[in-house]
Amino acid sequence: MKAQRFGAWLAIILGASYFVIPLIGTIEFSLRMRRGEYSLDAYESVFSDIQFRETFGYSMLMALLTIVFGMLLVVPTAYWVRLRLPQMRPVVEFITLLPLVIPAIVIVFGYLRMYNSSSYLPMTGSTTGTNILLVFSYITLSLPYMYRAVDTAMRAIDVRTLTEAAESLGARWTTIMFKCIFPNVMSGVLSGAFITLAIVMGEFTFAALLNRPAFGPYLQLVGANKAYEPSALAVIAFSITWLSMGLLNLVSRFGKARPAKA
Amino acid sequence: MSTVSTPMVRSAPLINRDRVIDWLGIAPFIIFSLLFLIIPTLYLVAGAFLTPEGNLTLKNIGDLFTPSIMSAYWISIRVSVASALGGALIGFFLAWAVVLGGLPPSVRSTLLTFSGVASNFAGVPLAFAFLATLGRTGLVTMFLREWFGFNLYGTGFNLLSFLGLTITYMYFQIPLMVLILTPALDGMKKEWREASEILGATNRQYWTMVALPILWPSLLGTTLLLFANAFGAIATAFALTGSSLNIVPILLYAQIRGDVLHNANLGYAIALGMIVITGVSNILYLMLRMRAERWQK
Amino acid sequence: MSFLTLNNIQKSFGPVQVVKNFNMNIEKGEFVSFLGPSGCGKTTVLRMIAGFETPTGGTLTINGKDQSALKPNQRNIGMVFQAYALFPNMTVHDNVAFGLKVAGAPKPEIDARVKEMLGLIKLDHLADRFPYQLSGGQQQRVALARALAVKPQVLLLDEPLSALDAKIRVSLREEIRQIQQQLGITTVFVTHDQEEALSISDRIVVMNAGKADQIGSPFEIYNTPATRFVASFVGTLNLIEAKVVDPDANLIQIGDQKITLKQSVAAQKAGETISLALRPEAGSLSDTARSDTALTGQVVSAHFLGSVIRTRMNVGGNVISFDMFNSPGVTPPQAGETVTLRFMAADLLVIRD
Repeated sequence: MKAQRFGAWLAIILGASYFVIPLIGTIEFSLRMRRGEYSLDAYESVFSDIQFRETFGYSMLMALLTIVFGMLLVVPTAYWVRLRLPQMRPVVEFITLLPLVIPAIVIVFGYLRMYNSSSYLPMTGSTTGTNILLVFSYITLSLPYMYRAVDTAMRAIDVRTLTEAAESLGARWTTIMFKCIFPNVMSGVLSGAFITLAIVMGEFTFAALLNRPAFGPYLQLVGANKAYEPSALAVIAFSITWLSMGLLNLVSRFGKARPAKA
Repeated sequence: MSTVSTPMVRSAPLINRDRVIDWLGIAPFIIFSLLFLIIPTLYLVAGAFLTPEGNLTLKNIGDLFTPSIMSAYWISIRVSVASALGGALIGFFLAWAVVLGGLPPSVRSTLLTFSGVASNFAGVPLAFAFLATLGRTGLVTMFLREWFGFNLYGTGFNLLSFLGLTITYMYFQIPLMVLILTPALDGMKKEWREASEILGATNRQYWTMVALPILWPSLLGTTLLLFANAFGAIATAFALTGSSLNIVPILLYAQIRGDVLHNANLGYAIALGMIVITGVSNILYLMLRMRAERWQK
Repeated sequence: MSFLTLNNIQKSFGPVQVVKNFNMNIEKGEFVSFLGPSGCGKTTVLRMIAGFETPTGGTLTINGKDQSALKPNQRNIGMVFQAYALFPNMTVHDNVAFGLKVAGAPKPEIDARVKEMLGLIKLDHLADRFPYQLSGGQQQRVALARALAVKPQVLLLDEPLSALDAKIRVSLREEIRQIQQQLGITTVFVTHDQEEALSISDRIVVMNAGKADQIGSPFEIYNTPATRFVASFVGTLNLIEAKVVDPDANLIQIGDQKITLKQSVAAQKAGETISLALRPEAGSLSDTARSDTALTGQVVSAHFLGSVIRTRMNVGGNVISFDMFNSPGVTPPQAGETVTLRFMAADLLVIRD
């Protein structure tokens, strides 16, 4: 089996090189702004750019709203399907997989046609309306990940028994939802939240076509106009993704350590 | 696992209150997905079959077959196939290496964690990363020139091209393949290998007669998934090649932005074409996955 | 000359020695079982015969030929796995044909042989089915046919019945034995189920912590266990503590009753404690039963199990369990009753550890 192991190591080393070298390249390039020496000038330029702060903040806010309202939609739905309408499960799962099949550009095309100023729901007619539409589009985009994360967490705890226990103690459904269910599927909620954060921060298509000042279009603009700042931004974007995934891993490990089987 | 309990029927009222509540509970989700996912898509699909005046027609579909639009589809298909095949092949070898290659378990968990992150590292930042690495003044380009005297761009290579885009796309295609294929390879029972060996087969015979036939639905299915994934992607291409590489999403983008085709309904038809291609790929993927799972029992 | 010889076989995984000085001579056509609890090394020895593990010491010969240089695919051995291991992408026919196909046999020969094998396991009508369409028992029979199709010199079975339902286990083990005898193939059968081993083997090797505690026929293993482990692992057993009174006269004392043993205790000293074994079926309460000695004690409990009545009695601090067949005219003993258990002194076995 020696040849096999050598081949395996070779594959891993080549693969690792392919993945690591661009990261090194990006970091190295981002340090090259000042002629002749390595410096953090590109990062200074980025952080002092007011547009950076504005678009970054905007996307962060959008991400937060997406997570909050997305979870308010997804958690009760996942719960309900598990508890009361198991026959709808295939339908709901199919719907949550649609955003992975239908390209984002097609979906936003549909939005622009359906919700423009001359339609029944003129969402793009106003800034607020467009912002809301953007949040909804982000919820749609991260639906597969949010739903799967929450559903997996619910499968691990026995929602039916939890609910019946709470009901027999006299709790109303809002109490059950917020005091019993949410806390116990928190690990799933957080998993979905972190993936959503990564997705929203890097998202380009929806934001560009809906003309919103988000981080994605800003990145693209900088890429078209500046030389060294794009790499600095790429490093920042990658760090955010890594941070989100790292927190996700932490949360899922934490979540696994807890549950005492009822 | 929860079992279904039928709602208590209280002396058969006309409208069973429990059932109504059941369906109400799921209403927000249904309404949301209808309004912001299903109906917009159907709107486009319908629009593809209508004239601007609102009459049914197949002209838009027919108009898809003009050289400029067909070439856009063709380039998209080629890029998607290339990155799918490349991603599938390399991803397969990486997955094989960590599952069956006899490497320490830490390598496997590192690869899987990294793949989880990298499969999401697409879009604009990815384009920047590759520009910084393989662009004209990129790290690798300069490294090759300074250390080996090798002029990469002198050979005609250009990152802003079909090949460059394919290489860039593989950065998220390979991890996706690794993530999906690793469980499939885990399902390859050790006993199959041993049974084949004790019956006299060589390593090569095991792979050609047993392992690959068992794995091919997963391999093909995931390749199709990778294809669909690449086909719908726009941000990376936009940031890397701009409008110079006229793939379908970019064409559609230009159409949405500025009606470059001067024919709104044709835009719908293009969108329909995209949905059909990604839809069919995903359906085939699901069918192949079901087949693979049936055998792995 | 023995057909399959294991000479001083040892196996270590790192610092842990899992097989210690294993010696065994298996005759051609013999059916030998390796019996023992999980972790005793029986599967490791089997895998060394197959070639999947390499011994760290000792030699392995089949038909006079040393196997150490041969890879598993060169040894012409048939193997049946616990998890069936049928190739899921092939029909029953193709699974059975696999070994022949790999060897390059011509198609008509392959088809004829497959037909013959499927007839042997009586599953000809399932030739075109896939493994996922078969029950566990059917899959294992196909696995057997697949292993035998290449006419191996040795057949190895690694706990082939453990994954099956109890009823299938019994019928399938008899089928395996019948086929083995019909073909006359040398067979090694690994199991942790002593009833399986006892019912179908020519000889049994009882293994414990990497060592072979005893090798013998089922009759020998059951009736004259060599060690405490063998005695307790094979069948149920009463272990009785007794004091040696007179070593030369083989006189021992249980509680306050003296018995003369048929086995020698000359090696012991007076006053020492020894362990004796008595099988539950060895004793009887009946006066007319064949016996030359007896023990009297108080009944602790009596359980009516249908055809068998299992009674537990206290003799000098030892609880002895004995079985009697049910008889409609005889009432089972009551708790607290004083009873006398009659048996042959020869049935009291001295247990060495």
